[in-house]
Amino acid sequence: MRWRHRVLVGLILALTPIAAAAEEAGVSVRDAWVRETPPGVAMMAGYMVLQNNSSRSQVLVAASSSAFETVTIHRTIVKDGMTGMEHTPQIELLPNASLLFAPGGYHLMLLNPKRTLHAGDRIDIHLKFRGGLVLPVAYEVRK
Amino acid sequence: MMTTVVLAVMLGGVWLAAAYRENGSRAMLLPDQVMTLFPDPKPLTAFAFTDQENRVFDLSRLKGKWSFLFFGYTHCPDICPMTLAILARAHENIVKSTVGAKDVQFVFISVDPNRDTASKLKQYVTYFDTTFVGVTGDNAQLGNLAGQLGAAYQVAITPGTENYPVYHTAAVFLVDPRARYHAVFAPPLDAEGISKRFKVLRELEGPKAT
Repeated sequence: MRWRHRVLVGLILALTPIAAAAEEAGVSVRDAWVRETPPGVAMMAGYMVLQNNSSRSQVLVAASSSAFETVTIHRTIVKDGMTGMEHTPQIELLPNASLLFAPGGYHLMLLNPKRTLHAGDRIDIHLKFRGGLVLPVAYEVRK
Repeated sequence: MMTTVVLAVMLGGVWLAAAYRENGSRAMLLPDQVMTLFPDPKPLTAFAFTDQENRVFDLSRLKGKWSFLFFGYTHCPDICPMTLAILARAHENIVKSTVGAKDVQFVFISVDPNRDTASKLKQYVTYFDTTFVGVTGDNAQLGNLAGQLGAAYQVAITPGTENYPVYHTAAVFLVDPRARYHAVFAPPLDAEGISKRFKVLRELEGPKAT
């Protein structure tokens, strides 16, 4: 009984750093992925489900990654019947609500990857929230 | 021959084809959110683009085939790859269908000839599907075909920067084998929605379209 307990504690400790950061922020991220691009394309898009687990609003203000030259928060919009993108300086996550970054809507625009990324690769992107909190998130490259 | 055509909900597809066969020349079609089918398809007029192999892509290349046309540009991280991935799956579904896809082509029309050269287009479209065709042309020619299809685009070229905004219609246009503007698929698109409707449409049109 006792050794089982220890294994469990060990597991919890091993998983603690990321979990703790997320819990502290009150924000969690799931299904984080980046679409693989055709060869020669230097613009990628990142998607995820952001969940605000706290009872106060959280505001996403920026994102950054050492894997890309720049990361910006974008939204695909329809203007005069045409689709385009606009930069979104910040996004408010309402209390206990989730926000979808999905194709055709909000996305992280990832410009000039430092190396060619293929399906299966993982890249880290840091999401920055108002108040100084930074949430590291691993994104899976998918076809 | 009178054919009343506005297309059906997905469920209506099978019923629709059956109803059509029964009474020969008339189909009762219901309004559809995904595809708008024109009762009197408009013949397209001459235009001239260049394809990914630097060959001329003009009106004659639309004849004898059903063509799915999509306007976009390769420096487009979200909507274009999403749409091309959906079209690739729709193509796969059509290939697997009994009629097959021998008389079907998918054409990506870049509205950004400034950055999208033939070789770039080739790399881009064939990544999604080796049979996809990538074309572009000058502004007059792009405006010409876009105008005929009711599509719109706007390229805000900013000197000195590689990244400028481009706006374009996100719909997919269907041109029939007689080079007539036959139908349009409105976003949000999905592969099954497109391939199922195309199957019904092809049954409705039968050999008379070719």
